[in-house]
Amino acid sequence: MLDSGLAGRTAIVTGGSRGIGRAIVELLAAEGVDVTFFYRDNVAAANAVVAGADARGNKIASDKVDIRDAQACAAAVDRVAERCGRIDILVNNAGMIRDNQLAAFADEDVQIVLDTNIGGVFNVTRAVVPHMIVQRSGKIVNVSSVAGEKGGRGQTNYAASKGALNAFTRSLAVELAPRKITVNGVAPGVIETEMSQPVRELAGDDVLARILLRRYGKAEEVAYAVWFLTSRFADYVTGAVFNVDGGFKME
Amino acid sequence: MQPTITKEEIMQVFPKVAATMADALGCDVEDIKLDVSLIEGLDAESIDFLDMVFRLERAFKIKIPRGKIIDNARGDLSEAAFEQKGVLTPVGLAQLKAYLSEVPPERFREPMKVADIARLFTPETFCKLVIMAQRETKAA
Repeated sequence: MLDSGLAGRTAIVTGGSRGIGRAIVELLAAEGVDVTFFYRDNVAAANAVVAGADARGNKIASDKVDIRDAQACAAAVDRVAERCGRIDILVNNAGMIRDNQLAAFADEDVQIVLDTNIGGVFNVTRAVVPHMIVQRSGKIVNVSSVAGEKGGRGQTNYAASKGALNAFTRSLAVELAPRKITVNGVAPGVIETEMSQPVRELAGDDVLARILLRRYGKAEEVAYAVWFLTSRFADYVTGAVFNVDGGFKME
Repeated sequence: MQPTITKEEIMQVFPKVAATMADALGCDVEDIKLDVSLIEGLDAESIDFLDMVFRLERAFKIKIPRGKIIDNARGDLSEAAFEQKGVLTPVGLAQLKAYLSEVPPERFREPMKVADIARLFTPETFCKLVIMAQRETKAA
């Protein structure tokens, strides 16, 4: 058996109560990572994740944090640092969609997506990085999207946020390399989660036709890529954005 | 007006500041002299400054807002009176020289860019930063 080096590490995962985030939380915890996840409002879903971990003897804690609130993020990160002593891994996973054609957006449709998907990443990462700089180690993984690189109708807000996130990933990788902190991204395609349900229902055939493997991805399949990037096997990988999209074609 | 900081106050915090800085820079504590230039003498990079500030915050249980050294130097001068388009005004430069009294006068450039101020920083600069933060913590 290869040792991923993850046992005994500590991690923060944002948006961990459902979907891809939940799969990441559960996989890292199964590897022996002490995981704290942030969630915005679904208390029942968050409690279910924690209860499942308790039953399996894994270490998962939850914290209700709106990542759009910088002060709340700083306080929540400090609580994790206080409790765990260090922060080895940050997975910026929380994100949302509010699809519509550009001309039909309400102001809030643009703002809330940017504030969450990119503003939230700034808020949480700014709070975590000081700990990693002092530790001289750390692994940051940003969950992006194929939409960050490829065009999609009704997704200007979401695509802009994910394109920004990819740029953020590359620049932060440059900044933090002197402290041996790696920063990478994972860009999922269409994954079977609640968030992608409307897209799958509205444009399923069109979407499937663009996926080389002719199926949607599973949340676990994204989590495996995150697992790799947080493990010691990825010590020499930084500034990369790794597609997990079944071969999403550029057409 | 800038607050006065005595040599005694500086020498009181210096041993702990030096130990903390040596940890951040990965050098021997003996290399941390009060008046050595951090960038030119000890090869400090911008991330090292952040590292030092984070470590000093922990070691002294203080909060150091980002950009605090320059704010302290500016004192009660308005930003416009201190610098124009990234270059210090003559009044601003005089104020900076007074605050960084440990730095030999020949090390100040004229004109002096705000972006180059960090090149002047020494361990004593950071001792002053800690002392100012301690005073603010006590006052709060």
